[in-house]
Amino acid sequence: MANTTAKLHVVYGDGTLGLHGEGFQYIFSYDRGGLESLKRNGKEWLYRVPKPTFWRATTDNDRGNHFSERSAMWLGADLFSPCTHIEVAVNGQDITLPIATENNRYSDHETAETVTIRFTYTTTTVPATTVVVSYTVDATGAIRVHTHFTGQPGLPELPALGLRFVMPTAAQGFTYHGLSGETYPDRMAGGQLGDYQVTGLPVTPYMVPQECGMHMATEHVTVTRAITLNNADPDTEPFSLTFTQADQPFNFSCLPYTAEELENATHIEELPPLRRTVLTVFGAVRGVGGIDSWGADVEAKYHLPADRDYDFEFVIAGTQG
Amino acid sequence: MQADLKWLDDPQTFRVNQLPAHSDHRYYRTVAEMQAHQSSFVQSLDGTWQFAFAQTPQERPVGFEQPDADHQNFGEIQVPGHIELAGYGQLHYTNTLYPWEGKLYRRPAYALGDTTGMPGMFSEGSDNTVGAYLKTFTLNPELRDHRVVIQFDGVEEAMYLWLNGHFVGYAEDSFSQSEFDLTPYLQAGENLLAVEVFKRSTAAFLEDQDFFRFSGIFRSVRLVAQPAVHLNDLTIRANVLDDLTTGDFNLGLSLNDDAAQSGAQLKVTLCAGEQVVLDQTVPAQAETAIQHVPVPNVHLWDHHDPYLYRLQIEVLDASGRLLEVVPYDVGFRRVELKDKVMLLNGHRLILNGVNRHEWDAKRGRSVTLADMQYDLQVFKQHHINAVRTCHYPDQIAWYYLCDRNGIYMMAENNLETHGTWQKMGAVEPSYNVPGSLPQWQGAVLDRARSNYQTFKNHPAILFWSLGNESYAGDDIAAMDQYYHDHDEGRLTHYEGVCRNRVYADQISDMESMMYDPPKAIRDYLDHDPQKPFVNCEYMHDMGNSLGGMNSYTDLIDQYPMYQGGFIWDYIDQALWVNDEVTGQPVLRYGGDFDDRHSDYEFSGDGLLFADRTPKPALQEVSYYYGKYDR
Repeated sequence: MANTTAKLHVVYGDGTLGLHGEGFQYIFSYDRGGLESLKRNGKEWLYRVPKPTFWRATTDNDRGNHFSERSAMWLGADLFSPCTHIEVAVNGQDITLPIATENNRYSDHETAETVTIRFTYTTTTVPATTVVVSYTVDATGAIRVHTHFTGQPGLPELPALGLRFVMPTAAQGFTYHGLSGETYPDRMAGGQLGDYQVTGLPVTPYMVPQECGMHMATEHVTVTRAITLNNADPDTEPFSLTFTQADQPFNFSCLPYTAEELENATHIEELPPLRRTVLTVFGAVRGVGGIDSWGADVEAKYHLPADRDYDFEFVIAGTQG
Repeated sequence: MQADLKWLDDPQTFRVNQLPAHSDHRYYRTVAEMQAHQSSFVQSLDGTWQFAFAQTPQERPVGFEQPDADHQNFGEIQVPGHIELAGYGQLHYTNTLYPWEGKLYRRPAYALGDTTGMPGMFSEGSDNTVGAYLKTFTLNPELRDHRVVIQFDGVEEAMYLWLNGHFVGYAEDSFSQSEFDLTPYLQAGENLLAVEVFKRSTAAFLEDQDFFRFSGIFRSVRLVAQPAVHLNDLTIRANVLDDLTTGDFNLGLSLNDDAAQSGAQLKVTLCAGEQVVLDQTVPAQAETAIQHVPVPNVHLWDHHDPYLYRLQIEVLDASGRLLEVVPYDVGFRRVELKDKVMLLNGHRLILNGVNRHEWDAKRGRSVTLADMQYDLQVFKQHHINAVRTCHYPDQIAWYYLCDRNGIYMMAENNLETHGTWQKMGAVEPSYNVPGSLPQWQGAVLDRARSNYQTFKNHPAILFWSLGNESYAGDDIAAMDQYYHDHDEGRLTHYEGVCRNRVYADQISDMESMMYDPPKAIRDYLDHDPQKPFVNCEYMHDMGNSLGGMNSYTDLIDQYPMYQGGFIWDYIDQALWVNDEVTGQPVLRYGGDFDDRHSDYEFSGDGLLFADRTPKPALQEVSYYYGKYDR
């Protein structure tokens, strides 16, 4: 039952924007260009700021049809696209970016119904384009995350398009309501809708590590961890965070590695020790293909052209989940 | 006769003193033995053998087969198993290019106008490792005073055999059973069996399958005794008339030549459960036939109801004593091509198939019965109704299992010469074998014959496949002809004729393609096709793949002449080894053994990982194959 009288507390910092409420504390960093801290009930959920992601670890079929070569630009963009612009809105109204000295006019008891903060990332591609990630937080701690990719003619097809959350420690597992197994746009007919539990963070043991673990058409996913990096927190009671759909189901993968870490390994045993959780919400997923592995492209309707816009949205559930 | 090393170089020498291939039936001394599946005529030779390894033929222990030879330097090896997995010889994975690529320059004998026969190519081959095997045995009492033959189910790639120092015979064709008569050389008490296995011979040109290149005695070996009157071969023809309700049972029986003088009789029964369909006693002849026995309201065999009748043949001596009893399961089914559509029992056939290499991540191609049983569970669970034995005959047990489980088989003989006609992606058949070379025709026909003669009685086999990716010429046309001459009840398959369409009317009853995109298949089916279409290999499941399967299955609904196909493939080929860094068990693939030239991770295209756990894509196969599971 939502506490309708609750207010969202806003801390107009010199380098960050803090948003607090019952059981949550969020810090958005201006210099890091994103959500730096997502704390729930004292537990930190972020290792680094979430970033748009454009790469997928090359599959055997991608290698065979030279897709990664054609789209190599997106690997750099995945690693290096900087945040180039930030905007803040309170209760739906844009305000001047509240950094020093602008923020001197605020107090230690600022509140709002909602706060939106928009981060614009400019890709390192040629030509460049932008991705805008907007976080809208309300008093329950719910974060509605909207991502907009601006299409740009002249860019190679996207390997992937998503928003990547790197969590400080490896999850115990996750549960989700969606399709069974691993699904891709061109391989989801066999997926059965239901509630599923995944133990640990399994990496599908393809002989050469590659893109894996996708879950299409998901209503919600809950990640559960037990340990933190906080030296003052010896507690090992499991704690959870839920990502849920906004208006449309979303796609996600939950793995211990980034696309680049997978990309670098020729065998599964070369992957680093399990250390973090990498949860990526994908707004668009390229198909895996399957006709052959030495040239046949993924069927055209499962490509991700970069000359069109993409929008996707999901919600990090609030404390009244 | 003496063993001659030059046979390794001669494509026209591929079997010396081998018994002719025959039906794979088992036989027992008593009905009780039959019911227990334990024949006292059989003595297994599986287990520990003595072994010595040589890098080249010139370094091999010449004369080791003699009982008085010095065997001090012999170690041990397990049979069945691969030499390369026993700590001798390098593991190597290559797909198309021959394993000597970049190391030795070879062209097949008699190709490119050669008239020399290329002496020394393999007999002096610096890459031709040799395994010398020794096994001492004493005949079980039940085998003594009988004719005794030895059966090698699979030896890669060429073998010479001696018993007690006497040369017995020579065999090629790694994946077919090789059988020799030991009777003249047997002695009371201990016998010394010697087998010399060469990794390479002219057979290497014919065995260029996309797989790890092993050598050694990798399937079981056994001694089998024969009673005085013995059923050498049987040919079952369990046909179905075109009313689809009446069976037409035919049986051909071949006994040893002196059977007719023995006064023996054959009691033949065919039963459906408790119901006796046929009970006939005939005098033993060298050749006996029972023809056109009608079976009204016949219970048909198919994938959903693999119903088997029980044939039993008792060989009785003149006094009526049982000499041997032979069981065989009989499936009545009708395979035909009607209006250019392949029908089974009058219904359009839809193949929800997989290509299955024999593979075990610990044992390589030396698979176990447990592997086979597991595979059939996977088939059943995921609506896989057909298997292509890519690209060689499998272990005999697999065919019986497919009969019982209703798995439609495309039974491929042992042939792939990919490396002689496809180079750097281009079709370049300048030195293709077998092609139309007369010197190579005998060897490939022998492979077709072994495949047919061994497995002809299995209802599961609907198609004989001439091999894989070997281009097309007179020799493969002759193989097709062989199957048609010997078997009216099945169809032939060969994809490679698409590379040389001149032979289209002589080779393959079906249009078969590999990896055609759906659009290309539509193009074929839209333009007055002459043969039904089958994908002998499609949906290449390498890594994270198997997307867009509906583009193929949609064709099932749209084109009666589209009859499905076989996914490439069933299981990744990778091997368990201990990580050189951590000591932990890890799966390694091509190129991980310093093996060059390699095709690296191309060894893994399976629906299952090499350890037999399913890939995520299997649920998609299950869905679509389930949808068309008719």
